[in-house]
Amino acid sequence: MQFLIIARLTLLELVRRRVVAAVGVLTAICIGLTGWAFFKLHQFSLAHAASSGGRGEEAMANAVQVILLAHMFGMVLAVGAAFLAAPSIAGDVESGIALAILPRPLRRRDVVMGRFFGLAVALCAYVFITGALEFTVIHSITGYAPPHPAAALAYICSGAVVLLALGIAGSTRFSPIAVGIVCVALYGVAWIAQVADAVATAYHNGAIRTACTVISLIVPTGGLWRGAIFSLEPTLMVAASAQLTVDPITVTSPPTTAYLLWTALWVAGMLIASIASFERRDV
Amino acid sequence: MTVPRGEIFGFLGPNGAGKTTAIKLFLGLAHPTSGQARILGAPPSDLEMRRRIGYLPELFRFQDWLSAREVLELHCALAGVARAQRRSAIDDVLELVGLRDRGQDRVASYSKGMQQRLGLGVALVAQPEVAFLDEPTSALDPLGRRDVRDVLRAVKARGATVFLNSHLLSEVEQVCDRVAIVDKGRVVGGGDLADLLGRSTKVKIRLSEASPNAGEIAARFGRVEPGIAETLLVDGIADSKIPDLVRELVAAGARIVSVSSEMATLEERFLHLLVKPDDAIPDHR
Repeated sequence: MQFLIIARLTLLELVRRRVVAAVGVLTAICIGLTGWAFFKLHQFSLAHAASSGGRGEEAMANAVQVILLAHMFGMVLAVGAAFLAAPSIAGDVESGIALAILPRPLRRRDVVMGRFFGLAVALCAYVFITGALEFTVIHSITGYAPPHPAAALAYICSGAVVLLALGIAGSTRFSPIAVGIVCVALYGVAWIAQVADAVATAYHNGAIRTACTVISLIVPTGGLWRGAIFSLEPTLMVAASAQLTVDPITVTSPPTTAYLLWTALWVAGMLIASIASFERRDV
Repeated sequence: MTVPRGEIFGFLGPNGAGKTTAIKLFLGLAHPTSGQARILGAPPSDLEMRRRIGYLPELFRFQDWLSAREVLELHCALAGVARAQRRSAIDDVLELVGLRDRGQDRVASYSKGMQQRLGLGVALVAQPEVAFLDEPTSALDPLGRRDVRDVLRAVKARGATVFLNSHLLSEVEQVCDRVAIVDKGRVVGGGDLADLLGRSTKVKIRLSEASPNAGEIAARFGRVEPGIAETLLVDGIADSKIPDLVRELVAAGARIVSVSSEMATLEERFLHLLVKPDDAIPDHR
């Protein structure tokens, strides 16, 4: 179980390099600010209950706010995953740390899996702790809770893990900065492909839909993102979207089981490619 | 090339000769285009063999956010040292490399020389049967170099083999039993260090007064270097032939004040093997 030593070392590095402390402080500030914003909205809603749509309208406003927050959270997490994964192996090779470690009775796959496992645990723990805190704060202030918060967090986590696997694969061959930029760019392409797909569906454009499907298979973060948003949308919002000709933001169906299976295979394939690539590399 | 067990083996060569690449091939850090290496009878990929070796890279860095003790603990864990033995192994090796009082400090606070000492400690902490040390004294002051020589002798004394890459020939000369000189990826010379240095000796014979035929006699034993008349410098004479030369000089009437044998230095042998006459610095006078 040599990979567990590397995984533990990876987690310790995040603590010692103050990544955990920095992210923790920023997250606490963000949760505080969003809590304050939700409080102000709630007060406004109570004060204008007679003239506005009442609790139903407030619930819809809260749902939109939560989805926008999830957009921001997902983006930050994607960038975080990319920039944590990018130097994970390339940095060790460039600095000479790998030279001291690899002659030990340690297979290179242990290094790859240890790095992946350690970072995946850190990212998933961050997503669930932060997400649970944020949802709790919102619920305690407004009484609103999204329909499927755990599923939403699981989808967001999966998207981060996909980018992590991609970043680690790149890290076995390319420089950290190149890998980081490529991961973030692909995440952006996958996200915009989801929006373009909704527009193409509305206007029955088969070519664009095919291109978007191919992109969502090559970089499955977009499809997972749809799952996260769908889990946060109240039924009322989905029903309202169905009345519109074009609504590229609202998601009306979750990813299929086949797509989720494909994503799992994609991550496994990326890790196998990472191991094969690193084992062939001279350090 | 074969390195016998229990010796300190010096691997020498000019910059770019392939010394570090050779070590990387031995340890599975690089992949050979042809040929094979076996360490302790096993290929580089053998994990069991890799439990029994230690390595100090030439250009390396440890996790600077760990303390020296934590770095050593990590390498003990990776090398499979039993948990109960790790503390004493770490204490011993910190003492050996002179970092006993700085073990708790973060590596980030270490000087280059201290990092090299720690690197030596990491290479030796799991009591390896073979230690590959790539330029272990390059960042050390003279005191540190002496300490490293003592460490190498201590490692040899417990029966381990040391494979030493170094361009500091005087260091190699002081500790190595055997050397190989490599150039452009090929071994161009080497062997037992005593033989290598003893093969070509220089003898200096001081006479009380110039002797007319002393030069002719000496020329039959080696190349006579020009010098003052009362002193004969004979290069390339074997140790065993020096008494014969002295006897013939005395028989010819020469009055000898002193005879001193000067072994060739490793640097002279090194240059002799690697520098071709065409490579000599041209004289533009």
